[in-house]
Amino acid sequence: MDFELAPEQIEFIQQPVDQHIWLEGPAGSGKTTVGVNRLLHLLSKDIAADSILTLVPQPTLGVVYHQAIRNPQHNINGVVDVTTVSGLAKRMVDLFWPLVVEEAGFGKPDQPPIFLNLETAQYYMARIVRPLLEQDRYFESVTLDRNRIYSQILDNLNKAVVVGFPHTEVAERLKAAWIGDDGQANVYDDVQDCANRFREYCLENNLLDFSLQLDVFINHLWSNEQCRSYLQNRYKHLIVDNVEELTPLGHDFIKEWLPDFESSFIIYDQDAGYRLFLGADPFTGERLKESFEVQETLTESFVTSPDVQTLEKRLSDVMERPSHASAYGDAREVIQFEYKQYHPEMINWVADSIAQLVHEEQVPPNEIVILAPFLSDALRFALQNRLEASDVPVQSHRPSRSMMEEPATRCLLTWASLAHPDWGFPPTSIDVASALQQSIGEMDLVRAQLLAETLYWVDDDGPHLASFDQLKHNMQERVTYLMGGRYEGLRIWLNDYKSRKPEPLDHCISRLFGEVLSQVGYGFHQNFDAAKVASNLIDSIQSFRRVAGARPLSKDTPLGKEYFELIRDGVIAAQYVKNWTLQNESAVLMAPAYTFLLNNRPVNYQFWLNVSSPGWWERIFQPLTHPHVLSRQWKVDAQWTDTDEVETNQDTLHRLMVGLIRRCRERVFLGLSELDEQGMDQRGPLLNAIQQMLRNLAVEEDDDGL
Amino acid sequence: MTLRQEFQFSQGSLQDFVDCKRRFQLRYIEQLSWPAIAADPILDHERNMDLGIQFHRLVQQHQLGIHEEKLTRMVNDAQLQVWWQNYLQHQPKDLPEQRHTEFLLSGSLEQRRLIGKYDLIAIEPGQRAIIVDWKTSKHTPKRQWLQDKLQTRVYLYLLTKAGAHLNNGKPFEPEQVSMMYWFANAPETPEIFRYDATQFADDEAYLSELIHTIDQLDIDSFPLTDNERHCRFCTYRSLCDRGLAAGDLNDLEDDFSQEDLDIDLDLEHIAEIEF
Ligand code: SF4
Repeated sequence: MDFELAPEQIEFIQQPVDQHIWLEGPAGSGKTTVGVNRLLHLLSKDIAADSILTLVPQPTLGVVYHQAIRNPQHNINGVVDVTTVSGLAKRMVDLFWPLVVEEAGFGKPDQPPIFLNLETAQYYMARIVRPLLEQDRYFESVTLDRNRIYSQILDNLNKAVVVGFPHTEVAERLKAAWIGDDGQANVYDDVQDCANRFREYCLENNLLDFSLQLDVFINHLWSNEQCRSYLQNRYKHLIVDNVEELTPLGHDFIKEWLPDFESSFIIYDQDAGYRLFLGADPFTGERLKESFEVQETLTESFVTSPDVQTLEKRLSDVMERPSHASAYGDAREVIQFEYKQYHPEMINWVADSIAQLVHEEQVPPNEIVILAPFLSDALRFALQNRLEASDVPVQSHRPSRSMMEEPATRCLLTWASLAHPDWGFPPTSIDVASALQQSIGEMDLVRAQLLAETLYWVDDDGPHLASFDQLKHNMQERVTYLMGGRYEGLRIWLNDYKSRKPEPLDHCISRLFGEVLSQVGYGFHQNFDAAKVASNLIDSIQSFRRVAGARPLSKDTPLGKEYFELIRDGVIAAQYVKNWTLQNESAVLMAPAYTFLLNNRPVNYQFWLNVSSPGWWERIFQPLTHPHVLSRQWKVDAQWTDTDEVETNQDTLHRLMVGLIRRCRERVFLGLSELDEQGMDQRGPLLNAIQQMLRNLAVEEDDDGL
Repeated sequence: MTLRQEFQFSQGSLQDFVDCKRRFQLRYIEQLSWPAIAADPILDHERNMDLGIQFHRLVQQHQLGIHEEKLTRMVNDAQLQVWWQNYLQHQPKDLPEQRHTEFLLSGSLEQRRLIGKYDLIAIEPGQRAIIVDWKTSKHTPKRQWLQDKLQTRVYLYLLTKAGAHLNNGKPFEPEQVSMMYWFANAPETPEIFRYDATQFADDEAYLSELIHTIDQLDIDSFPLTDNERHCRFCTYRSLCDRGLAAGDLNDLEDDFSQEDLDIDLDLEHIAEIEF
């Protein structure tokens, strides 16, 4: 960190290296800066880098620590471990597996563990749940995409382990809190049955989803002497940042380990807890504080001005929620509220305002962020077009965006399905046309359609791609012989492939990419973005093959075909770290509000879109689980009422709003259109709160004028 | 675009630069994923890599004190079984007691970070340090080839330069450091390289010069290699217009090095859940 530190920050950083310190404060008060500098301080006192463990709730929050350690100016010998509790758990399970495989009840004690990611966990879950859905009418009363059924059941297993109750109690807890009709009780029973079957299957086959990795680590390895002494001998100093975003399991684990460390430095963000839906528990986090003799607080914000702080205070007052912020400034100075009738007008206003900031006020684009509760493709596309037309660089981030939506992915899968006609996924003529456009250099859509419509067909024998020769002469000329040659190169490769023994799907795509599509004259040749997408797709298929191949569910179905079935079921693609680290740092960021918060990066200007949307307030529809009922704060046997729903939504909205404001240095722009993206007239609680605050300010202004 | 400030040089990235400047540019400056096949038959290549990883894991577990019997029963592959038995019967002798397995070490050089991931460092503080690198390649490389590899130079240099915290705070004398390549397919004939002050000074000058050169190069000055042999196993060959098909696995000289895969992966994959 190169900027100057305040005296109180320096005081905390330079505490003796054998101290156990608890540091808390609001967002923007410089806690992470202190954390990073505390780490550098330890290293400057000749503490071995590899004896320091830095825990963060999610990898993105560790980036600043990595950057500091890697900065050559700091001249550090050795490598500090910056990881998450689950990252550490997975590593330990992998390393010490032979010690606990039997004790933990796995069915194949002479075989290694198989770690599941989201996709592969959903794959096995799908295989267990699908027959129950189709033959036994499970979840009959629930209207939910299948992939969300799978992910919510997995989420229940995760909640059980991170909160600390047996996974067999999920339904019982959910039912006890439910006050609606009896049908829902049956749904919870279905959830429980699926969760139990999944867990049994995993144990039988050495499969470890996220929940089982943590379970094995906490309940078996942490009490195993060899593993425990390995950890205790290796790590002597602990730093934990954003401890409020850890789960109760994380908090218990730290509490138990704490006395073994020579020093610790735990950072707690007051009013945060954004990962609640992932099991974070700021309350159990705060209780850790009791273990510390040295407790420090940072109060002053290094990010927000008095005016911005006043905005936080005013909005908190309106929402009847407490706030540590001061109210000495003028909130009106830092918000701009724009009301338009139609959604496209609001988009234009956002784009024009940003263009003005960037071009006329010389604001660096990466100091501007556009936030919405959800970022639909349409919204993303419209904003991107408008901003790029105004010469403003922009990047978008939707963490749950499926890579299946990428044209390059669709293109590769189109050719892969043609290469494996027996799998029974013949592409449509439209798919083939767009794949041709993507694959062949300089080919426009008109020519691609012409080729697809005349040379591609599907009959009882499957899909066919005819040769360029079969095109009439005048059509060949329209397409051009150059492109015809490239088309032939691709077609011949596919035919050649079909005549050989089939390869695994990822190898097939990798080979097609290397031998044809990325060669000179083809569409992926200089297209680095498409190559990145191809790389992600191949990684995803490969990790699926390697896991599912080790424990195949069917001997008859090729794994590549199973992957296609996963796509059809909408099982989401795992996201890869490259997507986060390769961000263009000089671009305006478009992101869902929570994604921005969890990246913990303050900016000068924020644009909040669709402020009338109830999406800022409402919980995501989760009929098969419940983040509050399945939390440690919930009293078992209590009932979840409408009042609870409203109160927690209000708390969540307040927490979100405060989090955003504390990451804003200069100004918040609020965009509102009378009719939203879908043409609906909406008035969500965020809009009500803002309007109430503006009315209060107007009254005060009038009063002042009297 | 230039190299990120937090970029860490490793033996792998430096070797890439020495082999082909363009490859360095594409891989580390542009961070360009180019998912073509590296070597054929790809399934055999993949299997070799997997077995290499499994072997390294087994040895690490053994070095950590997990009982041999518990490990042996996890070995279900015939090739792995051979390597494992070779290891059990012909482990490097006379290694000091203090062991650091799969160990990351880094230090600064030319305003940059240099990092190495060691399979094993065995230490007798104040006396000696032995680096052991397990090799599972089919062919045993020639001594000269190993000597010239950046891995040998970087590992020996880095431990001498940045290993003081493993030696009660005192840097190792170059003469106290040595490196052993141990071959799973030829366990009785490891190659050992001893270090000395002259070699240390040479390596420092050479590595500094390399890093300095990379930092000074203009982005347009990373030419394609003249030695097209390097292109055979390089996934960028279609981008560089250096051929269609991957090289033959049998001609691949080195085994799979886990190091570079791991080193930049210190952020675990981010799994986001849409409920
Ligand atoms: S293909 Fe050849 S020239 Fe191109 S990056 Fe690879 S080694 Fe260098």
